[in-house]
Amino acid sequence: MRIFKNFGQALRGLRLNRASTFLMTLGVMIGITSLTVIVAIGHGVKTEVLDRITNMGFGPESFSIIAGEGRMFFTRSKNTTSMTLEDAENLLALPTVQLVVPRQRKRLRIINKKEFTNTRVYGVTPDWQLARNWKMKDGDFLSDSDMNQKRRAVVLGATPTRKLFKDADPIGKMVRLQNNFYEVIGLLEEKGLTESGYDPDDRALIPLTTSMSRLTHATHLHSIKVVTFYPSQVPATMENVRQILRRNHSLSVLAADDFRFITPESIMQWVTESEQALNRMLILISTVSLLVGGIVIMNILLVSIRERVREIGIRRCFGARRSDITLQFLFESVMVSLLGGIMGIGLGLAISFGLQRFDIFPTHITAEPFILSFLFCTLVGLVFGIHPARKAAFLSPEESIRAQ
Amino acid sequence: MALIEMNSICKNYKNIGFETRVLKNVRLHIEEGDYVSIMGPSGAGKSTLMAIMGCLSQPTSGEYILDGQEVGKLNDRKLSRVRNEKIGFVFQAFHLLPGVTALENVTLPLIYARQSPRGIKEKARALLTKVGMEHRLHHTAGQLSGGEQQRVTIARSLINSPRLILADEPTGNLDSKNGRETMQTFDNLVKEGTTIVLITHALEVAQHARRIISIHDGQIVSDSDREEKTEARVL
Repeated sequence: MRIFKNFGQALRGLRLNRASTFLMTLGVMIGITSLTVIVAIGHGVKTEVLDRITNMGFGPESFSIIAGEGRMFFTRSKNTTSMTLEDAENLLALPTVQLVVPRQRKRLRIINKKEFTNTRVYGVTPDWQLARNWKMKDGDFLSDSDMNQKRRAVVLGATPTRKLFKDADPIGKMVRLQNNFYEVIGLLEEKGLTESGYDPDDRALIPLTTSMSRLTHATHLHSIKVVTFYPSQVPATMENVRQILRRNHSLSVLAADDFRFITPESIMQWVTESEQALNRMLILISTVSLLVGGIVIMNILLVSIRERVREIGIRRCFGARRSDITLQFLFESVMVSLLGGIMGIGLGLAISFGLQRFDIFPTHITAEPFILSFLFCTLVGLVFGIHPARKAAFLSPEESIRAQ
Repeated sequence: MALIEMNSICKNYKNIGFETRVLKNVRLHIEEGDYVSIMGPSGAGKSTLMAIMGCLSQPTSGEYILDGQEVGKLNDRKLSRVRNEKIGFVFQAFHLLPGVTALENVTLPLIYARQSPRGIKEKARALLTKVGMEHRLHHTAGQLSGGEQQRVTIARSLINSPRLILADEPTGNLDSKNGRETMQTFDNLVKEGTTIVLITHALEVAQHARRIISIHDGQIVSDSDREEKTEARVL
């Protein structure tokens, strides 16, 4: 078959002109590298967020309320101090609400003699355990009396336990948070790292009342988790909650909510939106770099055609048609582009692994970049190869054979 | 029937509103098995004539019948096929593909052949043996001497068993010894019945041919064949 023979000639051409072949691949390589990395990051972030949702212990019948205006997880928002324990009690009065877990959180250093670690410290109510359905490994969870007495008691997750106590039995031991000593009364069962590297076991729980008076010195809550009886009650309950909170916080009709709802759906929506934004960026970056890569290929091919006029003339003399020359050069540009693509994927994968390995960005490898690269590279090769190829084919054989 | 029949061939080149008439009313017949050399000073139109004869370019006007086929008005596709099947080229500057072995250079025309016959490699090997290059099959063009390169070129021109071999100054880049050997090869080919048209400006090369055509300023000024015929008529 003629087409295969032209393909073979193209391969030979690339082999003989290794330097320019390499230069031609660079642009495309960079384009495909960025494409691979961005797709990997996109998938990585999505996996991580989904992971977190699962680990927030959301069932379909629950949702969270976070203090402060704004959207989703962006915590630096205004009016974050208006949500109180009274709000939480009012919510519990709603007929559709099964459980309410008010919560404060603070990232703190926790110390046992010479050992210490930084962990997330939460002030919670005893219902936390029910809402999360998290079993104890040892000891007891916080009780109502702990709440009432503002007892300095702490329940540790597996990660701080390991760091502070190594192999010793922590129950009954004292650990220090800021300037107070707390008795370890219970240990949470270990859940293990999630796929994205999030550690749900890195936490310590104390009574909410203790947290208010000794850690945050404030009565406002950071979040409230609401559990209804059935998933179908969630939307109506959210609306009721909104009205109660707005009334409690004396918000005028025009004022925005000073709290945010977080549901699995709203997180998913947010993830989808950010993914779309990421995709738009991806398309932009890839288009620009592949365009540049294509132009590089075109220019170098044009130069190399000038160098190879004689070769083209010889081929024409011995019976190559215009279409043969066109095909040969098109094959060259497509192959260069694909080669750049392969190198780009290789480099992209390496960078993606590196980002994941050194905790810079969560990444997740999928088949998508491979397929995309193959398509894009073929397209770039064809589009930017056609001009040089036609130019080569339409050289006059008589003149090109005489070119020196 | 003549292998080549050219009637009132003209070729003009256009340069920004400026027309140069390179060939003027050339009339030329070459019989099958003939050994012809075309002589003339540079700029006389030898190369243009050869380009037209080799179907590398087309005449501005006139009729060119090659092997019974009017080729003056063929499209690129058909013209390429004529070049591929009927003509073998030998160039002054050899024109081998760089970085490619002698064997592969010889098989180049077969890449573009309509049907690639079986045993290409064997045929190429046989031809290279015929020109005394059997010891250099896998050397690339750059590793061969001028004389050796020219022999590879001749083998390449023969691979498609063409009706006509066009040689443009085949000895121009060779020393006298290699030049003689090349001419010897041509002489042998003619004995086997190949038609050869040789373009040269060296008389001793031209004299190998049975018929010498001189061209000057785009016109044939002398043709030994015609002169013989005229002489014969006079006598």
